[in-house]
Amino acid sequence: MTVQERGAYRVIGQGIPRLDAADKVSGKAEYADDFHVPDTWYGAVVRAPVACGKLKSLSRDPAFDWSQVAVVTPEDIPGNNIVDMMGRDMPFIAHDEIQYLGEPLALVAAPSLHVAKQAAAHFKVDVEERPALLTLQEMVAVYKEDPAKLHKLSGQTIRKGDAASALKDADIVLEREYTAGHQEQLYIEPQGMVAIPERDGTMFIHGSMQCPYYINPELCETLDIPPEKLRVKQSAVGGAFGGKEEFPTLIAGYCALLALKTKRPIKMIYDRNQDILYSTKRHPSWSHYRVGVMKDGTIRAIECDFVLDGGAYTTLSPVVMYRGILHAAMGYRCENVSIDGHVYRTNTFPNGAFRGFGAPQALWAWESLIDELAAACGMTPDAFRLKNCLHEGDVTPTGGLLRDSVGSPEVLEKTLERCQFAEKWQQCSRGKSGERLWYGIGLSFFAHGSGFTGDGEARMKSKVALDLETRADGTPIVNVRVSSTEMGQGTGTILPQVAADALGIDVTHVDYPMPDTFKVPDSGPTVASRTAMVVGSTIYSAGQKMKADLESFVSETLFDGQPTELVENQFRAEYDNRSIPFVEGAAAYLASHGPFRVYDQFKLPDYVKWDQENFVGDAYPAYAWGCNVAEVEVDTLTCEFRVTKVTAFFDIGRILNPVLAMGQVQGGLIQALGYAMMEKLAIKAGKYDADRMQTYVIPTSVDGPEMDLHFVEYPWDHCQPGAKGVGEAPMDGLAPAIANALEAASGVRLRDLPLTPERLFEELSRSQRLTA
Amino acid sequence: MKIKRTWIINGEKLEAEVPPMRRFLDVLREDLQLKGTKEGCGEGECGACTVIVNGETVLSCLLAAGQVPDGATVTTVEGLEKTLGGKVLQAAYIEKGAAQCGFCIPGMIVSSYALLSRNPTTDAAQIREAHAGNICRCTGYDKIVEAIQSAAEQWPVEAKG
Ligand code: FES
Ligand code: FES
Repeated sequence: MTVQERGAYRVIGQGIPRLDAADKVSGKAEYADDFHVPDTWYGAVVRAPVACGKLKSLSRDPAFDWSQVAVVTPEDIPGNNIVDMMGRDMPFIAHDEIQYLGEPLALVAAPSLHVAKQAAAHFKVDVEERPALLTLQEMVAVYKEDPAKLHKLSGQTIRKGDAASALKDADIVLEREYTAGHQEQLYIEPQGMVAIPERDGTMFIHGSMQCPYYINPELCETLDIPPEKLRVKQSAVGGAFGGKEEFPTLIAGYCALLALKTKRPIKMIYDRNQDILYSTKRHPSWSHYRVGVMKDGTIRAIECDFVLDGGAYTTLSPVVMYRGILHAAMGYRCENVSIDGHVYRTNTFPNGAFRGFGAPQALWAWESLIDELAAACGMTPDAFRLKNCLHEGDVTPTGGLLRDSVGSPEVLEKTLERCQFAEKWQQCSRGKSGERLWYGIGLSFFAHGSGFTGDGEARMKSKVALDLETRADGTPIVNVRVSSTEMGQGTGTILPQVAADALGIDVTHVDYPMPDTFKVPDSGPTVASRTAMVVGSTIYSAGQKMKADLESFVSETLFDGQPTELVENQFRAEYDNRSIPFVEGAAAYLASHGPFRVYDQFKLPDYVKWDQENFVGDAYPAYAWGCNVAEVEVDTLTCEFRVTKVTAFFDIGRILNPVLAMGQVQGGLIQALGYAMMEKLAIKAGKYDADRMQTYVIPTSVDGPEMDLHFVEYPWDHCQPGAKGVGEAPMDGLAPAIANALEAASGVRLRDLPLTPERLFEELSRSQRLTA
Repeated sequence: MKIKRTWIINGEKLEAEVPPMRRFLDVLREDLQLKGTKEGCGEGECGACTVIVNGETVLSCLLAAGQVPDGATVTTVEGLEKTLGGKVLQAAYIEKGAAQCGFCIPGMIVSSYALLSRNPTTDAAQIREAHAGNICRCTGYDKIVEAIQSAAEQWPVEAKG
């Protein structure tokens, strides 16, 4: 497979500034808390005082002045008191069982936030408390004893070959356990939503979200209104990272229920403390492997238990676990694979979507273990990976064929060469005594499935539209109508670039209005690194359709039926060389036909086959590939360590906008650095201990290492322009690369995330490498 | 109780009558409808609410209105485009792709403006240090630093100390 040339595209591949940049640097962009709706009341949530128990009664403090307060309890819910996500096991408002600390028991609204908060604090709650299961560690302890004692939320297996017997034939078998903790998305704009009840009975939801079509229809059942009476519109989104995928349905529901009750607009903006305590996090994970290798480094068999702490309810956990198990043995050749994925309940807020969606947890363990396997075979980590990595034509753990656009092994080879891995590997300290600073270098290599997992895209059939309309100033404009949201990652720029390229016009003639379910078809949620690939390619084909229609209109009405082509903003007649600008031809079309909409729908290539029940086939239509190398320095006096340099290559398919793509990689890697070694949430007394930005510490401008970052381009050519997604891959591999580098530096291996000086100290003490 | 203050906000003289303990952030966002300044944490940790008072950057979520002296000069993100340096910075942020979701940017770019007004440095370490109180979850900071370096190179002579 040769790398495709970019030459065919004019606008795609240009690093044009984001279309919303001017609004963002001038403070004009409107986020949920910025728009003013007259007569708005403020909402607050009455929360459960225990993590597990039975609600016996809920009453209001008669001493409080309730005259200016509206209250919603489960009895006020017109439809079903169910959040319609997977499992359908979560109520909007708890009425009987309490499954996590802070679960809503009632909602209140008042003309001021102050009064609403006070009212929420004036309820008397009588509960019968029960023992809660709170942490991953407690959950794993029970699992080891007897999994049947846990409340199972989801399970799935992958079987290929015969792992159990192949393990017996292996020269060496390693059994290892790894864990990873919670991670908070910590978008800088907290969750925020407004619900406005309109006169015609429409409920208008406006706010910060990733997926407008999750909220509609999820709320229809609860509000008991038909889908056409629920309008959902996105405001500017101040970061999301998965944290505004499923969660906004809850806050939208709280606002809408209060709006129904009060017949007024209701606003809820979480403060940072509530946001951290009562929104989704990355699932804590426990990975248990038994892997058999031959002395020559061949991987004979992989057995893996991948267990996620789901929190209190099912929500999206099954799909997070699916993506986890699909990445837990990915990247390398092996004929015998057996993976068991599980999600169990704990009594914490339901864990949910976060950039990478299960893959970072799986790859944290798997890529750490790859280094351990290499060492067990007496091989270097680079040689072991080069020997085993998947190539075009190989098959994945689910038997999917890697047909084409496979960036492996090129990303691996290029990264190794670029950072001079082999030489630097020789210089690692390996815990040598007598040195003040230890040096280490470490590596990770991985694939990230592009688009929805399994049959998701086939079922979703993403729809898009392009509208040729007239701007306020009278000039024609092509509006991209999709439900894919702009949350900082660049949707609102790359999709217009794709549309412009397909049409043969400049991006100045294309716009991306904020998604509004009354105006856009359902393009699916803005998740899974799917927007550039799936929605982008559908926009491309819609653009081609619109171009053909405009060309034939101009041909017939202006060019006497000559073949006409729209290129570089000009309609050109083939025979007599006449040409007119795009705006003129488009204006003529609008004058004679009025606004013009083109629809299109995503279709997977026929060869993509997936058996959802048995998890066999092409789990993803294509993969992005990445290789990360981290170099670390350990202070042997304090056990503090820092990453001095990161070298990385990514194959994300066709690069639509190199500046934005690099921004995703840089930001994703720094978020991954936080996951690897800074961001820590423990649970004390049922509650996250780091519940403010002061205690939940994320990377600042002085924490990042030097970064040497590159792309290789293996476009997915079954759908033009062939992007494979860049949002998540940068989150996948840095943690294991750092752990591997730490081992090369210190001689000890850390198997729990986050990697901290305390843990390093413990391991060094245990291994008696600290002699001072 | 309310206090009376006259402030020069983004070059305009504004009179305000506010409770002295009201957060200056709320005075800006709600009383004066200057919604560009953002609240990311409300407790002095994120920097999204950064504004300049008498030449110094302050966190408006931690500042009481009464602490802003009478006659003080205040610059918020809305005021940047009225200055040469502010325009240079905005153009550099746009060109380098320094904004993603944009929520940290009002505070970030105000910090950049305060830094370059005092010291139009292109030194990455100094720039990083001066922005360590402005948290950005999207960009990883590299493009922000590049933008500030580029603005420093073009920093208008008349704006230099
Ligand atoms: S809102 Fe002021 S520092 Fe975060
Ligand atoms: S651009 Fe999103 S927080 Fe900085």
